Amino acid sequence: MKEEKKSASGKGVGGIFFFGGFILALIFGWIVFPNLLFSEKAQPLNFSHVAHQDSTCDQCHSFNPDGTYSGIPRLDNCVECHESPMTSEESERILVEEYIQKQQEIPWKVYAWQPDNVFFSHAPHQAKNIECTQCHRDVSKEAKLPPYSENRLTGYSKSTMKMIDCEKCHAQMGANNNCQVCHK
Amino acid sequence: MKFGRRAFLQFAAGAVGGTLLSPMPWRLADDTAIWSQNWSWRPSPERGPITTVPTVCTLCQGGCGIQARLVNGNRAIFLEGNPVHPVNAGGICPLGAAALQYLYAPYRIEQPMKQTRARGEAAGFQPISWSEALDDLVKRLARLKSEGTPGGVACITGSRWNSMDDLWARFFSAYGSPGLFKMPSHSDSLRATAKLALGKDSPLAFALENASYVLSFGAALVEGWGAPARMQAAFMRWQKNGAGKGAAKLVQVESRCSMSAAKADQWVPVVPGTEALLALGIAHVMVKENLYDADFVSRGVLGFEDWTDMQGKVRSGFKKIALSAAYAPDQVAARTGVDAAKIQGLAREFASTANAVAVWGGGQHNVPGNIYHEMSFFALNVLRGNLKSGGLVSLVPDVPFQPADDQTAASAEGGAPQVKLGSVPGTRVPLPGNGIYGFLDILTRGMIPPLEVLFVHDANPAYSLPENKIFKAALDKVGYVVSMSPYMDETAMTADLILPNHAAFEGFEDVVGLPGVPYAYYAVSRPILKPRKDTKHSGDVVLQLSKALGGNVAAALPWASYEEYLKNRVNALAASKRGAVADKKDIDLSRLQSSVSVSPNFKDGTDLWKKLTGGFCWYDVPVDVRSALDTDSGKIELAFRAIQGKGLNVEDDQVYLPHFKPLPPSGDEKEYPLLLLSYGMLSLSCENLANPPFMTKTLWDFVLKKNDLFVEVNPSTAGPLGMSEGSKAVLKTPQGEVAVRVHLSQAARPGAIYMPQGLGHTAYDEYIQGKGVNSNSVVEVQVDPITGMGTVWATRAQLRRA
Repeated sequence: MKEEKKSASGKGVGGIFFFGGFILALIFGWIVFPNLLFSEKAQPLNFSHVAHQDSTCDQCHSFNPDGTYSGIPRLDNCVECHESPMTSEESERILVEEYIQKQQEIPWKVYAWQPDNVFFSHAPHQAKNIECTQCHRDVSKEAKLPPYSENRLTGYSKSTMKMIDCEKCHAQMGANNNCQVCHK
Repeated sequence: MKFGRRAFLQFAAGAVGGTLLSPMPWRLADDTAIWSQNWSWRPSPERGPITTVPTVCTLCQGGCGIQARLVNGNRAIFLEGNPVHPVNAGGICPLGAAALQYLYAPYRIEQPMKQTRARGEAAGFQPISWSEALDDLVKRLARLKSEGTPGGVACITGSRWNSMDDLWARFFSAYGSPGLFKMPSHSDSLRATAKLALGKDSPLAFALENASYVLSFGAALVEGWGAPARMQAAFMRWQKNGAGKGAAKLVQVESRCSMSAAKADQWVPVVPGTEALLALGIAHVMVKENLYDADFVSRGVLGFEDWTDMQGKVRSGFKKIALSAAYAPDQVAARTGVDAAKIQGLAREFASTANAVAVWGGGQHNVPGNIYHEMSFFALNVLRGNLKSGGLVSLVPDVPFQPADDQTAASAEGGAPQVKLGSVPGTRVPLPGNGIYGFLDILTRGMIPPLEVLFVHDANPAYSLPENKIFKAALDKVGYVVSMSPYMDETAMTADLILPNHAAFEGFEDVVGLPGVPYAYYAVSRPILKPRKDTKHSGDVVLQLSKALGGNVAAALPWASYEEYLKNRVNALAASKRGAVADKKDIDLSRLQSSVSVSPNFKDGTDLWKKLTGGFCWYDVPVDVRSALDTDSGKIELAFRAIQGKGLNVEDDQVYLPHFKPLPPSGDEKEYPLLLLSYGMLSLSCENLANPPFMTKTLWDFVLKKNDLFVEVNPSTAGPLGMSEGSKAVLKTPQGEVAVRVHLSQAARPGAIYMPQGLGHTAYDEYIQGKGVNSNSVVEVQVDPITGMGTVWATRAQLRRA
């Protein structure tokens, strides 16, 4: 009897438990966990790239004379046009009242923020004619900023590029992959 | 179908398999690694646009043009030399390079503090508001003034090459107290020498860039003598072979093979303290062999030949003194340890090389020297004819600030009658110079009226005053000590009230003239960022106190802020229509000549202020000694005629003339068979600023190893004492006893111990304190009987194994 019992719970049906555990873990690992790992944070205000299509990209995202990249424009850039509200949108009100009038820089959450131990310069990448969209999202038709997903463990953005991606591209392009190229 | 143990294990095995095929474990491992790099205490540099702000460094008196790099306009990250600045031409000293550590130091004082317990108790400091602190101080000052005892207020300041110097003088003059004292500096001696010989109250200056032979008597030229960056530039120029010009020769006379001696073309090691004797030996040879500028000396110098004093008595001149047997090469050789033939060779070389100049340092520390010795070194320049128009020795020119109709200066003089400290019984000296030691002496012995308020500004005498226990003893007699230090230094620790000044680079400052430099210089140091703490510029504190005191004090200091006061001075400078702004690269100020005036390149005061705050400096031509001369005889005086009637032994003709007269150190030679001398280093800040940790990192491990300080001793001295490299030892002087370690070095003269200056702090923070020992706690000060200034040359010492 004992042996029968053993075989009944162990052989045919045993696979189901194994399979169930396997599937559940896959669902958790692939679908639930990523949602748990990242928290969605709102930007201080919405920025519509579409609404700014009357200006060129490098009016806001430009290289400084010393070769550094300005990245996200500072408040001075915004003030040039938005000293007073141009539309009646909520984001415009926040911009003028909360930041421009108080002369406070907008604490944008940067989607591609790299850790301090990474030395990254846009200049050599631009010189190689690498398109912005190869690393950053295409913003040309973007009216609403995407949500900012912050890794609960590391504090970095979900879209922060990982070292493996840098290395792959460097290898493909024949660029140097030595440590000190990026870690000074 | 039952979910038993086996089923559970099967489920778990499936889950493990599934998990391993999902990104979760890899992701978690990676993110945990990144998480571990982001501890909250890990410093993270601020990001943002980088800007560069030009300004002028005010950490020392060197007047270097610098530029600061800032992130977001408020986080200073880097200081570098300004290439468009004639003094340092892009160079920067180690202190300047490390200086941002002062801005962000943990030992900065956050706001005004009041001592609520016994003096010196760190836990007793309680924050108070600025208005509360100043009200309390005004009450004390107003009471003393109304009671007719303004002399109960004094100040010790380290400011001497900036406008705070003038502001304090105005304040004390208007308030009616003679109690304004400066920390000692070798420029006090250069000033006293000029006052005696030339009748001018300005320090001597040396056109070293134009010299081709430099005879240096212990001047720490490479280690930062005078204006450090200027000296480095001059040193570089000496090494260069210009077209048709040979490199300059530097001869260093010093007992230790210092950095200057090591870099010199020739090192002349002498017995400690006999540098002046060697100078007189050289003078002997020059006079005897007729190698001096006889034409210049006979026409322009009083006291070289025999001279007649005020009573009509004929006195011996310097010629007779120099020719006396005591200064004959054989005699000098025996006492200095330099061969007679070498002395003759030096004299002949000094006399015959074109553009030869003699310079000297302040013995140990940047402190005044023995006035007879200072005059002996000066006499060599007189013999060489260096004080002619356009010669290598002149005066640091005044900066023309004073408008013709200065109402405020008249108000300042309206204070109570000035009592000079020299007239206080017991401190009378014939020709008073910097009187800080005399003041501290009276204070310790009981001053009448008692000292009720002592300001300490831009100075840390509890640490950096040689024989610092003199200051500590005097403090017990002070009613109320007000420290104006931005940092929790040794003096601030003993204060009753701390009114923190801005740290360097946070407020407007200026530089008035450069020590040892013959051209006129003025620069404004603009702040590079907003004050980081609740601090107030000490100039603004003085102005606010004056305003609250009212009356003639307020009238003498009518400016709303220190910045406005500086603007006022710049306006006066612009109105003088003298000098120009060095706003281009490669302006060589050493080529300026007193006979060729420069034309102003600024329109008015506003324009000049704009240029000065843009990081440029103002300059003007050197002083023509002949026309500046202000002695009774109208000549350069080698004889101190003014001594007469000041209570000295006037029978001895030597008293009036440069001669060798070492001030004997105290202590029994048997008990203290060795001599202790301290030395400065360019990489060790030894005055009111603690050495920044970045700079401490650069010290050799035979200067400082962990917390142990090393003294340099010659192997022949250490051997008989049973010491070897690194031995632990106890250094004892009549002033105190400290634990040191021994570094054996041929650079040290046998019989002497050499100790670095700038270590051994007890205040500040854990990164500063407890490293080595403070040389000021073991050295001894000998007061010069003629000027009353405290000199330091050597201290008797013993060294024994610990």
